[in-house]
Amino acid sequence: MTGVLRPGQTVGTVGSPTRCKVGRLLGGGGQGEVYEADLGGRPVALKWYHRHTATAKQRKALEQLIAKGSPADQFLWPLFLAEEPGIPSYGYVMALRDSRFRNTSDLMTRRIEPTFRCVATAAFHLASAFLELHARGLCYCDISFSNIFIDPQNGDIRICDNDNVGIDRAADAAVGGTPRFMAPEIVRCERKPCRETDQYSLAVLLFYMLVMHHPLEGAHEAAIRCMDVPAMNMIYGKEPLFIFDPANPSNAPVPGIHGNAIEFWPLYPSFLRALFVQSFTDGLRDTQRRVTDSQWRKALVRLRDAIMHCDRCGSELFYESDPSEAAGRRCWSCRAPLHNPWRLTIGGQAVVLNGDTRLYPHHLHAAPTYDFTAPAAEVTRHPTDPNVWGLKNLTSATWTMTVAGGDVREVPPGRSLPLAVGTRIAFGSVDGVIEG
Amino acid sequence: MANRPGGAMASRPLHFIWMVDCSGSMAADGKVQSLNSAIREALPHMADVARENPNAELLLRAVAFSNGARWHVANPMPVSEFRWDDVEAAGMTDMGKAFRTVADQLRVPPMSERALPPVLALLSDGQPSDDWQTGLAELMAQPWGKKAVRIAIAIGADADHDVLSRFIGNPELRPLQANNPEALVRHIRWVSTVVLQSASAPGTQQADGSPITSNVVIPPSDPAGSGPTSATDVW
Ligand SMILES: Nc1ncnc2c1ncn2[C@@H]1O[C@H](COP(=O)(O)OP(=O)(O)O)[C@@H](O)[C@H]1O
Ligand SMILES: [Mg+2]
Ligand SMILES: [Zn+2]
Repeated sequence: MTGVLRPGQTVGTVGSPTRCKVGRLLGGGGQGEVYEADLGGRPVALKWYHRHTATAKQRKALEQLIAKGSPADQFLWPLFLAEEPGIPSYGYVMALRDSRFRNTSDLMTRRIEPTFRCVATAAFHLASAFLELHARGLCYCDISFSNIFIDPQNGDIRICDNDNVGIDRAADAAVGGTPRFMAPEIVRCERKPCRETDQYSLAVLLFYMLVMHHPLEGAHEAAIRCMDVPAMNMIYGKEPLFIFDPANPSNAPVPGIHGNAIEFWPLYPSFLRALFVQSFTDGLRDTQRRVTDSQWRKALVRLRDAIMHCDRCGSELFYESDPSEAAGRRCWSCRAPLHNPWRLTIGGQAVVLNGDTRLYPHHLHAAPTYDFTAPAAEVTRHPTDPNVWGLKNLTSATWTMTVAGGDVREVPPGRSLPLAVGTRIAFGSVDGVIEG
Repeated sequence: MANRPGGAMASRPLHFIWMVDCSGSMAADGKVQSLNSAIREALPHMADVARENPNAELLLRAVAFSNGARWHVANPMPVSEFRWDDVEAAGMTDMGKAFRTVADQLRVPPMSERALPPVLALLSDGQPSDDWQTGLAELMAQPWGKKAVRIAIAIGADADHDVLSRFIGNPELRPLQANNPEALVRHIRWVSTVVLQSASAPGTQQADGSPITSNVVIPPSDPAGSGPTSATDVW
């Protein structure tokens, strides 16, 4: 494959004295070609526009995005414009996506098999990244499989194709979006992309990742023979109906066709399902009722905290705190009945205590930010008796614990308290209780 | 042990059928060689599009027509398993038989009731030598024939644009003219990527925001793609 630029040649960067050295052609898209490149020893990617897409408007948009700076590490954001006398068009330098990241469509076709924890983590990173983007008054306009990449080992994500990012509510968004991800009001040509349409697309992507299915593809989709434009307009635009709409079951998933929806949906805790119901019932019609990025972020952290393991086979399962919802649940893999796991309940919310559970600052203070770099506590084993589990204080403050019988002890930094049902722990600003 | 339950996300088959003219005239000026190489070159790009569209299960086939029509690749194949063995040029231009051969396979069954719009890509360098009207009528009598995205590439100056336009059956889509090997490569690539993408996820809107009424929205091909015949053109 050969492109406009040749490996080894250099191009100038605007606003940086360092010239960019072109490497291997990575791929071409509708707008341009993307090369591996080197910027003063740093591996980067260089996108070079086709002549007909290298408009003055695109260049202006890039200048604005570069000036604003990247909202979060997950975005492969434009860093510098690039141009070179004698070479038509222009380009921009961005961070390089390394090979540990895989296309989200590989997740959907099961070419990668991450754990539930990994998928929940990726979903959390997505919500966080779009929260930061929207906080800067920007909208992404084209959330879809092809722009989102995931590390199947740990749930890290990268978001590419940021040159279409627009200023929210600027009248002329460059793209309408990707079919199946576009908000119904865009499909119906009533609106242009904006923050609320991003929020719809984000909910679709999260549903796809967690449920492995599209939220609107149920009995109505099954009844359609040819999925062409009129059919797509009907399902995704004119008559959208959630497959799990509690008020209208007429679009329920069809066994044998929509199997993933039927299998995955009941596994999730009711607090998460409630957000999808809101997104695709009220939120489908009323853009003000869409689930916000921060609501998703909070719920997805909670989802990670709800992960437990089957007593019999070890498969990942989710703890359900509502007893009426939890009744009769079985392991998806071995069908063993679910038992309530040991958990630490803080402020009404449960964190399942697995052998590898860690608590972070946001658990112990009602902290608004999520920092997963420095745990505040971790589940440990007793050094001499491996059957005794403890919770180790990794903070610099002393906790106070009260066991079920009423005895009170201090837990200084670096020490562990034994896990026992009924033990209360005063962490400082919040209290927790161990339940089983 | 699996990490999660379930299987791949639900998808619909997308049948893509190459219909290639292997008449004797295709032997002139290396046209058939160019066609063979252009299709093979396009396959990895097709694979990329298929990979990014998990909603579509792409299945490829090919019909060759000259004296009669025959399946060059008879079994619908995923692009990863699809092999393009060179076709050879000899004989007449029985395009009508090609239409009929495809029509037979677009019946339900063997076609499934639920699918994405099939893509039929017709490549020809001349005039049909048989009763193409009856063949085309048979194709269009099949619901999947009518719903198909029909694209035609005219190879060289002698291709019959009228017939190709009748096959396309959409005044907004003209046959793509390939007057040299580069243009043929470009057009075949366009059909393999842009058209395939459009059929995988039939767009819901025009770029200018106006609602569309046709079956599948296909973005215009590269403006450089179908220029007038120039002095350097080979065919
Ligand atoms: N920062 C990057 N690092 C690595 N690969 C990239 C990067 N940006 C884009 N690519 C790859 O380059 C190709 C074309 O990029 P894309 O942004 O889709 O182009 P277009 O917007 O023109 O469609 C794709 O295969 C994409 O995965
Ligand atoms: Mg792109
Ligand atoms: Zn089990």
